[in-house]
Amino acid sequence: MPIKRGAEGKTLKCKACDREAAEKDFCLVHLKAYENILEKYDVWTKALQISWREYLSQIEQNPLTGEWAIEVASYLINSEETRNVKES
Amino acid sequence: MGKYTLIITEKPDAASRIASALDAEGKAEKKVKNGVPYYVAKRNEDIVVVPALGHLYTVASKKRGIRGYPVFDFQWVPRYLAKRGAARIRTWLKVISKLAENADKFIDACDYDVEGSIIGYSILKYACGNKETAAQRMKYSTLTKEELEKSYTEPLSNLDFALIEAGLTRHEVDWLYGINLSRALTAAAKNYSGRYVTLSTGRVQGPTLKFLETRERRIKCFVPTPYWSIKAKVNISGAVLEAEYEKKVIETKAEAEAVIDSCNDQDGETKKVALKDFQQMPPLPFDLGSLQSEAYRLFRYTPMRTSSIAQRLYLDALISYPRTSSQKLPPAIGYQATLKKLGKNREYAKLTAELLAKPALTPTEGKKKDPAHPAIYPTGNLPSKILNRAEKNIWELVVRRFMAVFGEPAVLQSIKVAISINGNRFQLNGRQTLAEGWLRFYKPYVKSEDAVLPPMREGQTVSVKRVVLEDKFTQPSSRYNPSSLLRRMEKEEIGTKATRAGIIQTLNNRQYTREERIVVTDLGFEVVDVLKKYCPAVVSLELTRKLEERMNDIQQGKETREKVLQDTIEILKPVTEQLKEKERIIGARLSQALMKARLEERVIGACPVCKSGKLVILRSRKTGKRFIGCTNYFEGTCKTSFPLPQKGLAKPSGNVCKSCGWHTVRIWMKGKRPWNLCFNPKCPLKEERKEKH
Repeated sequence: MPIKRGAEGKTLKCKACDREAAEKDFCLVHLKAYENILEKYDVWTKALQISWREYLSQIEQNPLTGEWAIEVASYLINSEETRNVKES
Repeated sequence: MGKYTLIITEKPDAASRIASALDAEGKAEKKVKNGVPYYVAKRNEDIVVVPALGHLYTVASKKRGIRGYPVFDFQWVPRYLAKRGAARIRTWLKVISKLAENADKFIDACDYDVEGSIIGYSILKYACGNKETAAQRMKYSTLTKEELEKSYTEPLSNLDFALIEAGLTRHEVDWLYGINLSRALTAAAKNYSGRYVTLSTGRVQGPTLKFLETRERRIKCFVPTPYWSIKAKVNISGAVLEAEYEKKVIETKAEAEAVIDSCNDQDGETKKVALKDFQQMPPLPFDLGSLQSEAYRLFRYTPMRTSSIAQRLYLDALISYPRTSSQKLPPAIGYQATLKKLGKNREYAKLTAELLAKPALTPTEGKKKDPAHPAIYPTGNLPSKILNRAEKNIWELVVRRFMAVFGEPAVLQSIKVAISINGNRFQLNGRQTLAEGWLRFYKPYVKSEDAVLPPMREGQTVSVKRVVLEDKFTQPSSRYNPSSLLRRMEKEEIGTKATRAGIIQTLNNRQYTREERIVVTDLGFEVVDVLKKYCPAVVSLELTRKLEERMNDIQQGKETREKVLQDTIEILKPVTEQLKEKERIIGARLSQALMKARLEERVIGACPVCKSGKLVILRSRKTGKRFIGCTNYFEGTCKTSFPLPQKGLAKPSGNVCKSCGWHTVRIWMKGKRPWNLCFNPKCPLKEERKEKH
C-alpha cells in the first residue's frame, strides 16, 4: 500500500498515532480499526437508534473494544470533519 | 577390564537405569571420570553404559568468531565450540572417546526418535571414530527392566540412516534460516541503538509468532456490537429454574423489550418434553500434545513444564516415553500386567479389579500413529520415592487416563422442555448421567454437568416468577494460551513434539509476547512486519509444509540433502541482501519497539495520586536503589514514589491488592516463595496486621 505524502513530499503522520499514514490518513494499524468502526455503526444504529457521536463514545468506553479501535474512536470524537462526513 | 560393549544413552538417568537392568545382579557399578558418570554392568559379557547430555554436537559456522551475516558455510562441531556455557561437553566427549578405545561392540540406546537418533549417530561418528556403521540400535519405549533386557538381547542390526539423514537436514535448514535472519534482526537493532539485544526468528518461531500477531490485530481492532438475550425464571414443583428464550441473540433492543412486555404477568405452559439418551465415548490415550493440554487445563502447567515432568517420570520408569504423537496402545505393552501392578496401589485397587474382571480389555484409540513409540501409558511401576506434587499430578493423570480408555462409554440423558409464555417459546435444558462408564476412572478430572429437572409433562402450567432482559456485547476472539497455541502448532504441523513447548517459551523470553493469555508486544509486531516485508517465506506455513514433504522424500530416498540445502541458500541469499540494505530503517523500528517493550515490562499501573501518569519500577541514578516512581515526575507534575525491597527480582504482578485495589509487585527472592507486594503504605491489610502484632 502506498505511503501518503504531503505537498512537499514529506510523509504524512497517522491521525491516531505517530506512524506513517497509508490511506484515509490512518496508518495500516489504525486503518483496519477505522474500517471496523464504520462497519459496525450500522449494527449499532439498527440495535439502539443512536447517533454517530453517541456510538463513538459508547465504544470508546466499552472494555471489550480493542486498543487500536479506542484510539481511533477517541480521535473521531474530537474530529468535527469526520463527524460531519458520517452524519451527512 | 578387557574388551566390552559400549552403550550410549541420551541422558545420565537413562544410563543408570539401563546399566542396572542389564547387570546380572541388578547392581551396576557407577564410575566417575573427570566428573563424567558411566556405569559398568556384568552379565555374560562386560558392558559399559555412558550417557550423553542431550545433543553433544551441533551445526555451526565454519568461520569461528565472526558474527556477521550471511553465513552459508557450516559444519557439525562439538557443542562447546558453538555455545556459551557448554564447556563441560569437552571433558564429556574426551571421556566417551577414551571409553570407545577399548570397546569392541557399540550400541546406540538413545531415545528412539529423530533427535535421539542424531545424538547417538554424531557421538558414534565423531567421538567414537566412525563407529556409526558398525553400531546396533536398542529400541524401547519404557525404562522397565523387562523391556530394556529385550531391546538389548534383540537389538536392531543398524541405525536408521534415512531418518538420520532427514534429521540432519532439518537441523541444517533450521540453522541456515535461524542464524541468518536472527543475526540480521540483532545487527539492525544493535547498529542503530548501540545496545546488544538478542532478537531471533526461525522456520518455526516465525509462523508461530504470525499466528499470535494475526489474532492480536483482530483483538486490537475489535469493535463490540450490542445484543440482548432473555431468560425466564420459572417455578416447577417448588424448584426455580431458568429457561432461555428460543432466540439466543436478539439484535434490537425494541424487539427484546417487546418480548419482555408480552411475557409480563403471564403463566407458562409446557408444550413439549423431549428426552434423548446419548453416549459419551472414553477419551483417547495421551500423546504428548494432549497430555500438555490436559495438564494445562487441570493444573495450569505450561507445556514446557509438563514435558519436563513427563521426562522425569519416564526416566524413573513410571511412564512410557512421552515424546510421542501416537494415540495407539498396542496389546504388546501388556494391559493386564500393567493394571495388575497398578492395583497394588490402594487407590487404584478397586478400579483396576473392575477392569480386570472384564472379559476383554480393548482400549479406545485415536487415529494418530507414531512409528517409534505407542501413546503415553503407565509402566505399572509404583513410585519408589516420594514424588513432588507436580510429578504426582502428572503420574496420576497418566494412570487414570490409561484406566479410562478401557472403560465403557458413559450413558447420559438430555431433557429439553419447551415452554410457551404467551406465545413466546422458551427452553429449559437438563442433563443427567444414567451410567458412569469411563467417567468413574477419570472422576477427579471431569466435572459433572448434571442438571436434573423435576418430572414434567406436556400441557403442565408453569408459574413464571420473572422474565429478565440481559444486555450483552459480542466478544473479541480469545487470546491464545500456551496450551491452545501448542494445539494450533500441532494442527498446522509446525515444529516437532519435542520443540513446540520450547518455541513458545522463546517467544516470551525474546519479549515478543507477554503474559499467560498471550499478548503480542510492539516488538513482536515489528518483527513480524519486518519478516513479512523482507522474508515472507519464514512466516508462512508453506515453507514448513514443503520442508516436511522433502524430509519424507529424503527418508524414502527420493530427495537429497544437498539439493534441499542448496535451495534454502538460494532463498536466503536475496533476503539477506535486502535486509542488509534496509538495515537502518529496520533497526530504527526494532529499537523503538525494544525500548517500549522494556518500559512495558516495568509499568505497574496508573498512578493513584495524579491519575494521569504511570507507576514504573525505576532505579535511582544517585544511590542505585530500586523504587517505584510516577512517569509524570519527568514532567515535573507528580513526585509520587514508593520504596521497594532492594534484594531479589521485582516485576509488576499484573494483579491488584484484594484489600485496597492498588496494583502489586511480584518479588522473587532466593530461597523464598515469590510473593505479591502491596506498596500502598496505607493499605488496610497492613494496618490490620500491625494491630494483630
